[in-house]
Amino acid sequence: MATDLTVKIGGEAGQGIQTVGDLLCRVCRQAGYFFLAINDHESRVRGGHNFLQLRISDSPVLAPASQVDLLVDLDGITCEQHGDELKDNGLILCRPEQQPERDGVLAVDFTQLAEKAGDKATENTVAVAVCVALLGAGEELCRNVVAQFFARRDDLKEINLKAVQAGFACVSESGLKGWDLAWEEQQPGGALLNGAKTLALGAVAAGCRVGAFYPMSPATGIMAQLVQLAEHFPMVVEQAEDELAAVNMVTGSNFAGCRALTATSGGGFALMTEGMGLAAITETPLVIINAQRPGPATGLPTRTGQGDLLFTLHASQDEFPRFVLAPSTVADCFDTIQRAFHLADTYQVPVVVLVDHYLVSTSMLVSERLEVSPDAAPKAPPEPPDDPATYERFALTENGISPRLFPCQSQALVKATGNEHTPDGHVSEGRQNRNAMVEKRLAKLPAMKKEQRPPLLYHEEAEWLLVSWGSSYGMVREAVDILREQEFDIGMVHLVDMWPLPQEPLQGILSQHKWLLVEQNATGQLGWMLRAELGVEPQGSIFQYDGRPLEVERVVKQAAARIGG
Amino acid sequence: MPTIQDYSNNFENKWCPGCGNFGIQQAMKKAFVAQNLSPHELLIISGIGQAGKTPHFLECNFMHTLHGRALAVASGAKLANHELNVVVNSGDGDCYGEGGNHFIHAIRRNLDLTLLVHNNQIYGLTKGQASPTTEEEMITSIQSHGVLNRPIRPLAVALSLGAGFVARGFSGQPKELSQLIQAGMDYKGFSLIDILQPCVSFNHLNTMAWYKERIVDVTSLEHDTQDHQAAFQLAMEWDERIPTGILFQQDEDDFTTRNPWLQDGPMLHRKYEAEKIRDYIDGLYK
Repeated sequence: MATDLTVKIGGEAGQGIQTVGDLLCRVCRQAGYFFLAINDHESRVRGGHNFLQLRISDSPVLAPASQVDLLVDLDGITCEQHGDELKDNGLILCRPEQQPERDGVLAVDFTQLAEKAGDKATENTVAVAVCVALLGAGEELCRNVVAQFFARRDDLKEINLKAVQAGFACVSESGLKGWDLAWEEQQPGGALLNGAKTLALGAVAAGCRVGAFYPMSPATGIMAQLVQLAEHFPMVVEQAEDELAAVNMVTGSNFAGCRALTATSGGGFALMTEGMGLAAITETPLVIINAQRPGPATGLPTRTGQGDLLFTLHASQDEFPRFVLAPSTVADCFDTIQRAFHLADTYQVPVVVLVDHYLVSTSMLVSERLEVSPDAAPKAPPEPPDDPATYERFALTENGISPRLFPCQSQALVKATGNEHTPDGHVSEGRQNRNAMVEKRLAKLPAMKKEQRPPLLYHEEAEWLLVSWGSSYGMVREAVDILREQEFDIGMVHLVDMWPLPQEPLQGILSQHKWLLVEQNATGQLGWMLRAELGVEPQGSIFQYDGRPLEVERVVKQAAARIGG
Repeated sequence: MPTIQDYSNNFENKWCPGCGNFGIQQAMKKAFVAQNLSPHELLIISGIGQAGKTPHFLECNFMHTLHGRALAVASGAKLANHELNVVVNSGDGDCYGEGGNHFIHAIRRNLDLTLLVHNNQIYGLTKGQASPTTEEEMITSIQSHGVLNRPIRPLAVALSLGAGFVARGFSGQPKELSQLIQAGMDYKGFSLIDILQPCVSFNHLNTMAWYKERIVDVTSLEHDTQDHQAAFQLAMEWDERIPTGILFQQDEDDFTTRNPWLQDGPMLHRKYEAEKIRDYIDGLYK
């Protein structure tokens, strides 16, 4: 029988449930299982109720599951809050004083066992060991993973290994029967990654050398990963005083000739829109990651959503060409950010990569190989003209792209301004010049459109289609699989390159099929785009805007109701 | 050897006749020549306002950026290539108002660049509203009952933030100003030169004559430029006497020297090594 188990661990902020999740992920990876772990936490440093939900399977995991097999209650309220998600044959792991009355409960005095092992701080390791034991894995596997995790700290390693032993002993003494999965240590089938890591890694693969940012959830993790990579690759990361500074710093770096990255979330992106305009009119490449969270204003700081699509499309005043890319998976983040740098340089335009809390913070086993794109490496600037005095940074060309030199790297002077300007970069209010410059910038659009990846298609021949974008790929795809098992004739069209909108084969498919919009916002922003650009209308829509990851079950139910009725 | 002429271009100048910016422009050209810099070896980043237009009227590499953001763009350029010679032209509204946060943090960051603030105590480009340095009670079209807010004392702010090079110049003394700019460019770290200048169109209080009556060169005051407390007192002086020259100068390690990631040369010149990246990725799958 196929393995598909979900473990949910609830605890207070500061209790270390992320470490529990991380260790469990490593155990799964070491045993050749696929997994996907989501973090759900409140915007606070201590206390509150947070949880981590880990789905384990012997085939690739696309989405979190809604039903829980093993519920781990470390804060005394997890059972109460999530008890209804527990399957009938599910097990509960909790502290003795918080034991609910039902079968299948294992009460463990984590604190006492941890103290016996040598430190109260090893409670989390005890919990990991108990989970792993209940899932049917051997102590050796767990010991190896824990030993590796604490490899650099001999003192910690020793007491944590004792905690593992205590956890396993506790399960065997209880006589409680858990699951009988095939756990065997083997060559891992992939890498343990989250979106933050693949985005940062992709930036490095693209030769990004400068990072500037202002901390904001959920984007901070991306820059934290970049800082870690700066230990291995040439990279300087500066924490700016605000997002205005961050975006203008990366524009300054790009102007000087270095690829640079900034990452933020909606509120910070709102501040960056001014700087985005400067990059646009000075035709300086710019890559911004907007990791979406629900708004407006502070909104739900630690939660997820897809509410910024139209904002991103129109951010900054007046008109200029831009790319908006929305990667679909943790692995796709790696490819997308490399493309973002390549496209920003090639067309000398801003590129916004739209991700969200879900994609950035979801950890999973990435089995496909992350490939450094042949286009990833930054290209050297063109040769300056023989007579440097003839160089014009904004020379009018047929495709709108002018030769971009770097300041102080040749005799040719590089002149740029945020005002409208002549081809040589001086301020101009001339009417003809204004028209020529607007048209020059927009002349890039036809070629930019050709760069766009078509939507991802899955059973696109079906009568009904779910139409979605960005990080919801895995959830919608799983929903399609479930609906097809229920004999619905349904497929999916999933957009990843949002702007310029790749028109074909979208136009043909959407005008010939019945389709439902699936978005994590309340008004259907992709729907608005499709209506405006292609003149197509959905037969219905499924919106989720509660800040939680898109629920497969909800998509299935609502789609079935719409199609069935 | 570069000459003053190398820095001249024929782009139409748009400043008012008699504008203090001409004196600053002249002092800049002199300083660049004295620094033995050719126009292609210089990058000017400017903000918005009459000061922001300065690089258009010079021959050099430049980016004329956004209101208040010049220091941020300049900082990014230096992160990418710390060997660049970067001068920033800003104004009192641009730097102390719209860009106030960047001003504060650029001082803390201490990148090796020279900030010239054209301080005419008024908004010129938008036609005469109060700036952060406009005198209290001065009447403008907007502050019709007189300015209510206290003026900022930029040199004192800079000193309080630990700035290592703090100076005040005067557009009516281009020779002395040129020497200040040179000293600022020689200084390894962030250098601030607040430059008093008349605005002939909109500031009828702080005129050329008003400044000339008050300014006094610090070298005539037996001032020790390493004495932080004394510098702070001079920075707070205003109504009776306005000290000009270098108020404070102290060597300290700049951003690049302190930054562990910049010890192997400018980021711009660092090699791209695809193999190294592939090896790192390989490690993640083991």
